[in-house]
Amino acid sequence: MSTVLAYAALTLRLNLRNAMAMIYGYLFPLVFLAAFAIIYRHDPAPVIGHLGELLTITALGGACFGLPTAIVAERERGVWRRYRATPTGAGTFIAGLVLSRLVLLLSAAAIQLSIAIVALGMPLPRDPLGLIVAFTMVSGALIGLGMIVGMLANTVPAVQALGQCIFLPMLMIGGVAVRLSSLPDWVQTLSAFFPGRYAVAAIQTAATGGGLGTAAFDLFALAVFTLSAALIAASLFRWDSGRRRADRRLLAGGLALWLTIGCMGAWMNADRGHGIVDNAPVAPPATYLRGSSAPHVGMTPDTSPAAPANGAGETPPDQSPPAPPVGKPQSWQTVTAADIGRIAFERLPDDEGLVSPIAQRGTLDDPAVEQQIARIRTALAGWPPAQVPDPVQRTRNLLAIAAVPDVLQIDPLERHLPWLVFDRLRLDIARADLPRILYWISQHPDEGDDTAIAQFDTLGLPTVSGPTTRVRERIMVYALKFLARLPTTRDDASGGTGGAMRPCDLGRNAERASPC
Amino acid sequence: MSGPARVPPVPVLEVAGLRKRYGMLDALAGLNFQVHAGEIVGLLGPNGAGKTSTIESIAGLVQPDGGTIRLCEEALDRQGRGRIGLALQATALQDAIRPREALALFARLYRVRPDLDALLRRFGLVEQAERLYGQLSGGQKQRLALALAFVNDPALILLDEPTAGLDPAARSALHDLIRQLAADGCAVLLATHDMAEAERLCDRLLVIDKGIAIAEGEPVALIGGERDSVLIEGRADRPLDGLLLPSLPDLTVSGPDFRCRTTDPNRTMAAIIAAIDDQGARLTALHLGRVSLEETILSLTGKGPLA
Repeated sequence: MSTVLAYAALTLRLNLRNAMAMIYGYLFPLVFLAAFAIIYRHDPAPVIGHLGELLTITALGGACFGLPTAIVAERERGVWRRYRATPTGAGTFIAGLVLSRLVLLLSAAAIQLSIAIVALGMPLPRDPLGLIVAFTMVSGALIGLGMIVGMLANTVPAVQALGQCIFLPMLMIGGVAVRLSSLPDWVQTLSAFFPGRYAVAAIQTAATGGGLGTAAFDLFALAVFTLSAALIAASLFRWDSGRRRADRRLLAGGLALWLTIGCMGAWMNADRGHGIVDNAPVAPPATYLRGSSAPHVGMTPDTSPAAPANGAGETPPDQSPPAPPVGKPQSWQTVTAADIGRIAFERLPDDEGLVSPIAQRGTLDDPAVEQQIARIRTALAGWPPAQVPDPVQRTRNLLAIAAVPDVLQIDPLERHLPWLVFDRLRLDIARADLPRILYWISQHPDEGDDTAIAQFDTLGLPTVSGPTTRVRERIMVYALKFLARLPTTRDDASGGTGGAMRPCDLGRNAERASPC
Repeated sequence: MSGPARVPPVPVLEVAGLRKRYGMLDALAGLNFQVHAGEIVGLLGPNGAGKTSTIESIAGLVQPDGGTIRLCEEALDRQGRGRIGLALQATALQDAIRPREALALFARLYRVRPDLDALLRRFGLVEQAERLYGQLSGGQKQRLALALAFVNDPALILLDEPTAGLDPAARSALHDLIRQLAADGCAVLLATHDMAEAERLCDRLLVIDKGIAIAEGEPVALIGGERDSVLIEGRADRPLDGLLLPSLPDLTVSGPDFRCRTTDPNRTMAAIIAAIDDQGARLTALHLGRVSLEETILSLTGKGPLA
């Protein structure tokens, strides 16, 4: 073990003395960071929403180019040949190389994150420890890929060629640089056979999602990819450039594992629908009622620069006076102003956060997105779910138009489309009914059917299949956010007997984005 | 040069029936030899004779197809190789490594704790200890390779063309180091193409060809068979007809050049000059010299003009 550590330490020192290794290892990740900050400059919170992609690209670069270049360069020179004549086995050198590369990747990512937080104002990751675990596992899988490249390539130029063969497909169709939700189904199926998509999901879950537990399969897949790559690399291992002979049993075992986890991933993808990428959980409905003792979990204000200082995931103290005991309304028609008055709008996720974001009205400056929203507006006229007689179901269906792009993180559409839905609801649903229906939906997110989601293709939106729990949660949040935006909520709900609820009473969400 | 008086009866290295095949080619076809403590044995032969395969098989860099290798009377295994020092022709290290770091690394790989300062002093690398490998001269790199070969205090040192590409001064310095290693009781197996080096440095020579030993002995003894011979080399001003030259043993003609080995130089030269004169040609160069080790090896392996 001490020899492994000593060899890893020496390898690190040699890397530090190599200007090119430093440029590739530390400067490039910062270039990636700058590129992400520029590309996603309109994100409500800098970088954090794309941390999965950013860190995966960082690991990919270091693992698929840096590591095999070092391996092949040493092997070409005969250094490994000389090592072979010592009593120390290959495992020591491989372990040392992997360890040193892991340290390099972790330190590069740490520098990247530090600069993102300090210089760009990126919010702190939601689960820092989980992020370290996820990134370490991602690095392990990608280092395995780098090992395979190192064993296959005979020369350093060959490393570049082979590395690109992994790097580019992973970026384009592997779910790393291009959102899977924007790719055809067959590409999504193919992406299940690349570790990239699991890497992005695992890191993003730790950064903004609901903890590593919700990325269990992604972590499992990464572990299997690591094992598979290790077997394949071991089957191809050679001490010198000229002799290439594969251990067929190890190779077959590694490939079989690879195919198995790819098939499992493809099956899981089909099962869980159209690339739901935002798994951040939302608090239960009761959380948003004053006097409720329900825990305030899963919100995202901690990921926003404007977040209160009470820390991530903590329950904000309920400082409002306790509401008088009120019986639960039995139907949406019996919802009263008192019921609506119990809503703690200030507990809603921030409009600039990741969960159910809403841009300020009039801030859309992307002509392409404007055109897309215009097309959806036109298509809505003939969209059957928007015509169903039941006003509650119709409202649910319309809210889904805001919720699905939110869950799929189709940015910036997800932040501007809610206004279309909001305006449509105000036109379509009776003024007195809308607050009651929105309240009802917010407190009964599990009711109604969600077949409308399967009909999104006619709106030009991705069709989501499989479990729709996250979509229903976002429908609930949007219902509350829209309720907050109705200018005279209490008057309407109470038949004009109560005082008007002004947007300024509704907390910072409405203050920031009120249409009034 | 170490003398035979220091050679103990028990060999440090015993190679018996060593075989290695690459595809259809027998690189080693049943090689047998021994190396004793304090002895420098030169491994000679033309390209493809099997020298490198022999060194690589003993060092564990290739897996032999047959035969036995024993080190200090024990079958050689991975742990046994910890008692072998190795300096390959193309030993190269990372450009960014420092000699002291390289010695420390190899000490760890061999699981030994040598006095690194003493090693650096012994191989003249004290001033270069903290310089980067890429900044060392060829001679300094080879001295470092030898130092690495000695880091584990080996019973046997394998050297493959250790002085290739070095200037005469650096080569001479390395020869002194190798002699010193042998004087300290180390067995040295040296594969080389440099006949002068082999003649000056080695106690015993092993000539191999096509994977087997074809001659073995002290350099003086190997050349001894040719001690009374004289080599005549010359050139005419036009191509010569070999058939019209007198029939002499080991005479070869190539265009205007001729070579001949003889124990009676007076009569042979007279006969050659007369024959050239008869062909209407004129002698432009003539040289008489002693038959060298190289000529002897070339003759033995059937690759040279004397064969």
